[in-house]
Amino acid sequence: MSTVNFGRRVLVLRRGRIAVRLDWRPVVVCAVLALAVVGLAVLALMTGSYQLGPGQVVSALTGGETGLVHDIVVEWRLPRVVAALVFGAALGVSGAVFQSMLRNPLADPGVIGFSQGSYTGALLVILVVNGAYWQLVGGALAGGMATALTVYVLAYRRGVQGFRLIVVGIGVSATLGSLNTWLILEAEREQAMAAAAWGAGSLNGVSWNQVVIGGICIVVLLLSTAVLSRSMRQMELGDDTAASQGVRVSPARLGLVVVGVALTATVTAASGPIAFISLVAPQIARRLARTAGITLVPAALVGALLCLAADYIAQHIAPTPLPVGIITVILGGGYLGRLLFTEARRRL
Amino acid sequence: MPGPRRRLLGLVAALLVLLALLVLSVMIGSTAIRPSVVWDALFHPSADIDQFAIRDYRLPRTVVGLVVGVALGLSGALIQALTRNPLADPGILGVHAGASFAVTVAVGVLGVRDIRGYMWFAFAGALIVTLMALALGSTRHGRSPVAMVLAGVCVGAVLGGAREALQLTNPDAFDAMRSWNAGSIVGRPLDLVWPILPFLVVALVLALAVSGPLNAMALGDELAAAQGVRLAHTRVLAIIALTLLAGGATAIAGPISFVGLMVPHVARWIAGPHQRWIFAYSVLLAPILLLASDILGRFVMHPREIPVGVVTAFVGAPVLIALVRRKKASGL
Amino acid sequence: MTMTPSRRRGAALAATLLSAAIVLTACGGDSADTEEAAPAETRSVTADNGTVTVPAAPQRVVTIGNTTLPLIDMGGKPVGVTEVGASEIDLIPADQKATYEAATSLGSSGDQVDMEKLAGLKPDLILAQLPDSEFEQIEKQLTSIAPTVFWGLDVEWKALAGGLSEAGNVTAGLTDQRAKFEAKIAKIKETYGKLIGDTSFVNVDRWESSDPGTFSVADFGCVEIAQDDIGMDFPKAAAGADPLGWTSLPFEQIAGLSKYDVITYPVDAAGKPKKSFAPVVETNTWKALPAVTSGRALGVFCPGNNSYGPVLQYLDSLDAALASLPAKE
Repeated sequence: MSTVNFGRRVLVLRRGRIAVRLDWRPVVVCAVLALAVVGLAVLALMTGSYQLGPGQVVSALTGGETGLVHDIVVEWRLPRVVAALVFGAALGVSGAVFQSMLRNPLADPGVIGFSQGSYTGALLVILVVNGAYWQLVGGALAGGMATALTVYVLAYRRGVQGFRLIVVGIGVSATLGSLNTWLILEAEREQAMAAAAWGAGSLNGVSWNQVVIGGICIVVLLLSTAVLSRSMRQMELGDDTAASQGVRVSPARLGLVVVGVALTATVTAASGPIAFISLVAPQIARRLARTAGITLVPAALVGALLCLAADYIAQHIAPTPLPVGIITVILGGGYLGRLLFTEARRRL
Repeated sequence: MPGPRRRLLGLVAALLVLLALLVLSVMIGSTAIRPSVVWDALFHPSADIDQFAIRDYRLPRTVVGLVVGVALGLSGALIQALTRNPLADPGILGVHAGASFAVTVAVGVLGVRDIRGYMWFAFAGALIVTLMALALGSTRHGRSPVAMVLAGVCVGAVLGGAREALQLTNPDAFDAMRSWNAGSIVGRPLDLVWPILPFLVVALVLALAVSGPLNAMALGDELAAAQGVRLAHTRVLAIIALTLLAGGATAIAGPISFVGLMVPHVARWIAGPHQRWIFAYSVLLAPILLLASDILGRFVMHPREIPVGVVTAFVGAPVLIALVRRKKASGL
Repeated sequence: MTMTPSRRRGAALAATLLSAAIVLTACGGDSADTEEAAPAETRSVTADNGTVTVPAAPQRVVTIGNTTLPLIDMGGKPVGVTEVGASEIDLIPADQKATYEAATSLGSSGDQVDMEKLAGLKPDLILAQLPDSEFEQIEKQLTSIAPTVFWGLDVEWKALAGGLSEAGNVTAGLTDQRAKFEAKIAKIKETYGKLIGDTSFVNVDRWESSDPGTFSVADFGCVEIAQDDIGMDFPKAAAGADPLGWTSLPFEQIAGLSKYDVITYPVDAAGKPKKSFAPVVETNTWKALPAVTSGRALGVFCPGNNSYGPVLQYLDSLDAALASLPAKE
């Protein structure tokens, strides 16, 4: 895709006959973001309510410790940090895909009912079947996917129009939201609280198993996103323009919906719905990198950073750890509010 | 476009349906009580145990359904007219989130346990948060509808997170909130409604006063200003009215979704783009939806009842989706 | 656009990294592991997670979920506990409350337990009762800290009390309580045998989570003891069906209670209707019930039903209530 150079500094990478022109700013922003992510990851590994010295942590990571210290660092803290990174990145990309596709800064997979649907699925498993953990995961995935599909089908009338998708999504979400409220009302307190904690989205007790399986899914999906994203930029310009440039809008759109939902679904399966990262990360990334459209790599990095930071706060802000989803809701909502303020001021 | 005659006939029909539902709501319930006992309960009261069921439960819940329905319908019509957004719902401005958060604080932190106590928290929470969302969504140019909705979503989300944190760390608050969150018109004695009623009446009068100017504003601010409409004045009055209506309804019944969103849609579909007619239809159709949902909720899972907030969502969502799928059904 | 925002961001990043460095140096080197105590004697106990080897005399016990109050009731002194609702804490004796408050709080139950804090307490035994799915999630972490004994939610209270006392080594307290319990049951059966034989009872309740305007015919909680151990005739759900108490009934249906001879309802320690039940007592329908007008609606105090201490208080209260019953014509 040819770009118009607005006189900004451009980095040209040459290797043999391939030359890549990169805008300076996004590259610097990505590097700084990556540094911040690493710094925060180190901090998260070093601190926790069980006191460990940096020497112990390093030696545990290099295999020099056994017993509880090894377990705490390698089996508890490390998977949690990796999970926050990978899941956060997945959510950031998922949101970027949706916002670019629906051309709406408020779009994320929650819009098409995915979060509420997966919560309904999980609640049904917890409350009706009283099922084991993997059943809960299956229920959440089935619920989310079924809801997303329902919304897509209901919104389909000779193609899918972004606005109609959002409206139908709101309708279906609200219905499921009421159903969820009622299911929680019908449950016993222990079960209801467990369900609510899951529904808030939590990385507590994340194990290597979940991280590895989730991570593999996410990597595959990210690769598919990279392939599909070539048509994404065109679609951002509008369906008519995109069609005239030869992108087949509906199949491409459907492919992106599937990938976007699957990314969120994977995270939801492993940790419960973590709200707002998919909504906010692409917006922050866009502002930091000052790109016109939605870009995937900065969105992924911002997502990872946000998720990690939110989880760190969630573990340290209260006397006992909170679900990370609660922090992301508060931070994300606050950020959106600030964004609104500045936009409003700019319009004066 | 329907003519005025047809619109009037429709309105009369809606009124008749509402009256029929009011009667039905008193006549039938989860226990079978003979019509003659119902009659006696209302007109020849005695200490008969079945008569109490009519006077203490069915009559109040019918009145509450009527009041809450009118308030929700009118507040929905107001916000959709004000924001020119067919998707706006009083809930979107953070009314429910504000009320919910305030009730959680009342229950979890202050130890208020009775609905008589936390009703006022709900009312205050709804008012404060809506005004906050509106202030946040305002520019010096006036209020952009999109910014207001965004602000409502933000405030709602932040408060929702804080509320969840409070609830998950306080099992007692969690328990009490479970039922409040479902939205119900059962178990609200009439003496709970009276103190809220004056606010609703004031709001109703305000709504009627601004219906004309809002009608002019639907065609665009410039055109309305040219017709002598005072834009800022109208907006402030409309906001006060809708906040009182939605806040009052939520204080009494808890968060009931969909009524405020869907009813004005249907009203616009029947009456066309005339605010006064839309208001009139909304005032009648909303309690129809609410009472019908409540009556339905008494029977589908007998002997238990389903909270009306759950039923309205299930009745309302398909209608909304059908409306959206119709071409040009919901343009303002 | 000026450069200010990005400079501010850079400063924030530097601050983050700096504070990280400070935290790291501050944490350094002060947490040498205490030497493991010499291996003490062990025993085996069997619970829902199989046979577990536990110390013969555990010194540092952590309780998770519903095990906290029963263990404290039998004289145990846990070092770490998960949170118990304020409404339940209000019902236990002051000395037990002090024990609960002296223990380190580890957060609400299930996967919200602060594992590192738990590990930091260096417990030698963990006792847990919570939903199976939640335990499954934290089992590995718990067992890597200390021997863990787990019961699901379906376990019967006497079995839980027995298991807890055995695992937590508080059998002395249990034996004493059990003897009192059996004596009390026998006494009630003997004193009111005739009355119990030809009276139909119904137990009603209402909780904080109940919808306004609804109540339940409760068939779980203390009433199970009256039903199963004493043999009183309370309505019971069909085998395999959900408990009756899960169905919240609208106040209209209070009138349906007139078909029972005697109604029991929950009161607090002072004998007043429990706060969440008060709305039922205030209705005209309740006041018009034949059982209520003839003094056959009995307030019964149930401070808890999963260990002997609160159950004994319940039986005392039931005894007193039955004694107040007017002779049946």
